[in-house]
Amino acid sequence: MLSFLNQFKHGQEMRESKDEILVGELVRAMARLKSPAIGFVANSGAQMVRFKPLGDPILHSIVIIVDRKTGGSMIQQAVIGSKATIQVQAEVKNYLSDPDDLVAMYRTDLANIFKMPMLGDVKLDHQMNSVFATKRVMIDIDDYILKGEESIGRMTQLITAIVGELKQKLTQYKKS
Amino acid sequence: MSAEELEKVFVSLVDASWKKYNERQQNTHMDELLLGSVIASTVEQGYSLIDLNSDGVNHFLRFEHLPSKTRLIFQLTNQSEDLVTAKVIGRQARVVIGYGQMVQNPGAIWQALKSEFKSGFLDAAEPGVITCDADLASGYIYVQVPLIIDLDTYFSAGYEVNYPLLQQHIGATVHSLSKYLRGRLGA
Repeated sequence: MLSFLNQFKHGQEMRESKDEILVGELVRAMARLKSPAIGFVANSGAQMVRFKPLGDPILHSIVIIVDRKTGGSMIQQAVIGSKATIQVQAEVKNYLSDPDDLVAMYRTDLANIFKMPMLGDVKLDHQMNSVFATKRVMIDIDDYILKGEESIGRMTQLITAIVGELKQKLTQYKKS
Repeated sequence: MSAEELEKVFVSLVDASWKKYNERQQNTHMDELLLGSVIASTVEQGYSLIDLNSDGVNHFLRFEHLPSKTRLIFQLTNQSEDLVTAKVIGRQARVVIGYGQMVQNPGAIWQALKSEFKSGFLDAAEPGVITCDADLASGYIYVQVPLIIDLDTYFSAGYEVNYPLLQQHIGATVHSLSKYLRGRLGA
């Protein structure tokens, strides 16, 4: 093979590509929601995609991490299916932060250090002039891929619901 | 100047700094914006993303149309990551698009391998040069073509993406490559 073909894993079964298929569907769903992808970090364990919500007065960016937990082998796939966690992190950015606000944010950070979010909880975090809200859910990959408009609709519904919840928590931190 | 006027000047300085910062940031995001747009456009055309890879400079994508088992491969390279280059020559990217078909016939694979050998003598860095490649492990034969694209054609300053145009350009290239490959395979 003379070209970039050797960059790809060969001989893999479709079962092993389910997390990539999920990422593809996610990027398509977000594009339909007017949030193009602007950053990718992919490795064998998890895949992270950063999106830019266009025309959103509150959110600066949305980061979605897909972490496949089961279904890599034929036995796992047959017994427990293909489970993955999807972590959604929404960011509010304030372009000019008052020093007093930063001090207040760090106090909240200290309170957050000892908080262990359970699956489905929303965790708030502050970094300089950004405030982040994060939520993690577990899904069955097969519900969200390869079923045409039905799976796209389900994916769009899931993302819209989570981002809506995170946005609600973050709205109070956005300064005009 | 009064304290209020000084604060206004300070706020305007910060505002202008953010504009410059965002302009640089967006320029560095261009290759990944292209990557995301190619994924969204190709998945929208019925293909499934089956591989996503990067070596830090080049980004690699592989898709499969599951009913027909045909595959598309992309290599995307931002040629104007530096803002000065982008301002002078415009935002450009080198894109290699490949179309692959599963082939059971050993004779066809052998022909493709001979073409692959001959392709090694071509300067595949030049745009428009169609080369042939075979992946023996999965039984696929690919034809691929390098193109240089103007990113400003597809993306506006505010991350808006012209998906219909991108889909049209990918579709036209894939159509030509598939026709070429079918001709080579005598199908």
